[in-house]
Amino acid sequence: MTKLEAKNIVKYFKHDSHRLTALGGVNLQIEDGEFVCLVGPSGCGKSTFLRIVAGLETPDEGEILFDGKPVTTTGPERIIVFQEGALFPWLKVQDNVEFGLKMAGIPKEERAQISKRYLDMMQLTKFADSYTYQLSTGMKQRVAIARALVMDPDVLLMDEPFAALDAQTRDLLLVEMQLIWEKTKKTILFVTHNVTEATVLGTKVAVFSNRPSTIKKIINVDYKRPRLVEDQNLFPLQQEILSELRPEVKKS
Amino acid sequence: MKKITLTKQIIFYIALISIWQLVSMTNIWPNNLFPSPYEVAEDLVYTASDGSLFFGIGTSILRLIIGLTIAIVGGMLLGIFMARVEIVNQTIGSLVLGLQSIPSVAWVPLAILWFGLTDGGIIFVTAIGSMFAVTIATYTGVKNINPHYIEAARNMGAKGTQLAIYVLIPAAFPYLISGFKQGWAFAWRGVIGAELLFSFLGLGFLLNVGRQLNDISQVFAIMLVIMMVGIAIDGVIFKRLENKVMSRWGLR
Ligand SMILES: Nc1ncnc2c1ncn2[C@@H]1O[C@H](COP(=O)(O)OP(=O)(O)OP(=O)(O)O)[C@@H](O)[C@H]1O
Ligand SMILES: [Mg+2]
Repeated sequence: MTKLEAKNIVKYFKHDSHRLTALGGVNLQIEDGEFVCLVGPSGCGKSTFLRIVAGLETPDEGEILFDGKPVTTTGPERIIVFQEGALFPWLKVQDNVEFGLKMAGIPKEERAQISKRYLDMMQLTKFADSYTYQLSTGMKQRVAIARALVMDPDVLLMDEPFAALDAQTRDLLLVEMQLIWEKTKKTILFVTHNVTEATVLGTKVAVFSNRPSTIKKIINVDYKRPRLVEDQNLFPLQQEILSELRPEVKKS
Repeated sequence: MKKITLTKQIIFYIALISIWQLVSMTNIWPNNLFPSPYEVAEDLVYTASDGSLFFGIGTSILRLIIGLTIAIVGGMLLGIFMARVEIVNQTIGSLVLGLQSIPSVAWVPLAILWFGLTDGGIIFVTAIGSMFAVTIATYTGVKNINPHYIEAARNMGAKGTQLAIYVLIPAAFPYLISGFKQGWAFAWRGVIGAELLFSFLGLGFLLNVGRQLNDISQVFAIMLVIMMVGIAIDGVIFKRLENKVMSRWGLR
């Protein structure tokens, strides 16, 4: 079943001296439960595309269909995780994780039950009462993922969530992310500039062209999980993606 | 480090009072214009022992609290609207800047005409004299919120009043505190100024009594009390609040 469909998404931005066409007609079809990684040259519009899917930005042309219905605004069925997590520093970890539930008017005891499950899953139980400034970058990113999962969204939109992490922490989270995906059956859209990350995580990898961007190529990754970063068998696919990407990066 | 500062301060004040005592002993100025610290202390003890000093402090602080509460609530509401609704900013925003430049005591004639010689009048002067400082700080604070906080919150279902209470106000809190601090300083000036001009109770009134009776040591004593209340409120309430917020919000 098709979960998400991007139909000819065009997005302009006004700059002082000119009009910049960020997205030049993006078409993408995503089935329920797919893990799609988006890669592309810097500034091609990956974040913009994700924000449009989240409903935080409206396209100038085209539309996003969610379960066949056009997306017009943000909704709890499509939750975005930002690169820096955007955790609320005035709330404890647990209250951060429960934020969406609180907004939905779910009573305190029930919220605590739900959040406990995800805090456990993310190995954050010990830090439930900590404030975000007391956490490492990797832990913050876990909180951000837990906060998104608590909403039980159909689609998880992740914008370079691991970009600021050190290699060891990232490798760990790459494995965890695969487990979460297998466990929760979420549809995931995952932006990354790291080709290895994309092949480790994705069921398919969509390569963006340079601006005005379109999707240049979609590469399927059929390989058993859990996949590891050092897995040699993913190497040819990574080379293939890189060879698609290289000319685009040069153009930019 | 803290101890050394405190020691320095104690030495400074002892020296200051000693010089004051010496100057008053030389009789350069007649005693009824320049009292000795001893006379001022005597007067303090006297007004304290008959209870009038504490009653005066209590009255002024009560008026301050009521006026400042009105200013903070009103100022935050107005500030949030200005920051979030462009038309409000373009219209009322310019007026706020103008009103902010009016000194508290300049509202006194209006207060007397509208409220008569009542507590209501004093509270009006206190509130209106401090409200716009809070408004401007709130506006600046909300404008400077990391947009990802607001987007994440909206994405998780927060809107309207919920968004204001659970995200905008706490996210803007570092700015709000400086607004409260400024507001409190204006409010304290407002209370004393208004009491001086048209009250029968409070520290401002006691100050005025001192002038009318030509009791210079009472004038000195009450001014000292006004200053000390100021230092106490600044140090006890605002320093603590500031320290807590600074570390929690990861600003230090
Ligand atoms: N609010 C905006 N106003 C003007 N231009 C914008 C805005 N947001 C994005 N752009 C422009 O749109 C283009 C795409 O930006 P976007 O952030 O989506 O790229 P990206 O692919 O996520 O890049 P990166 O890999 O560096 O994160 C950029 O050229 C950027 O300058
Ligand atoms: Mg980006």
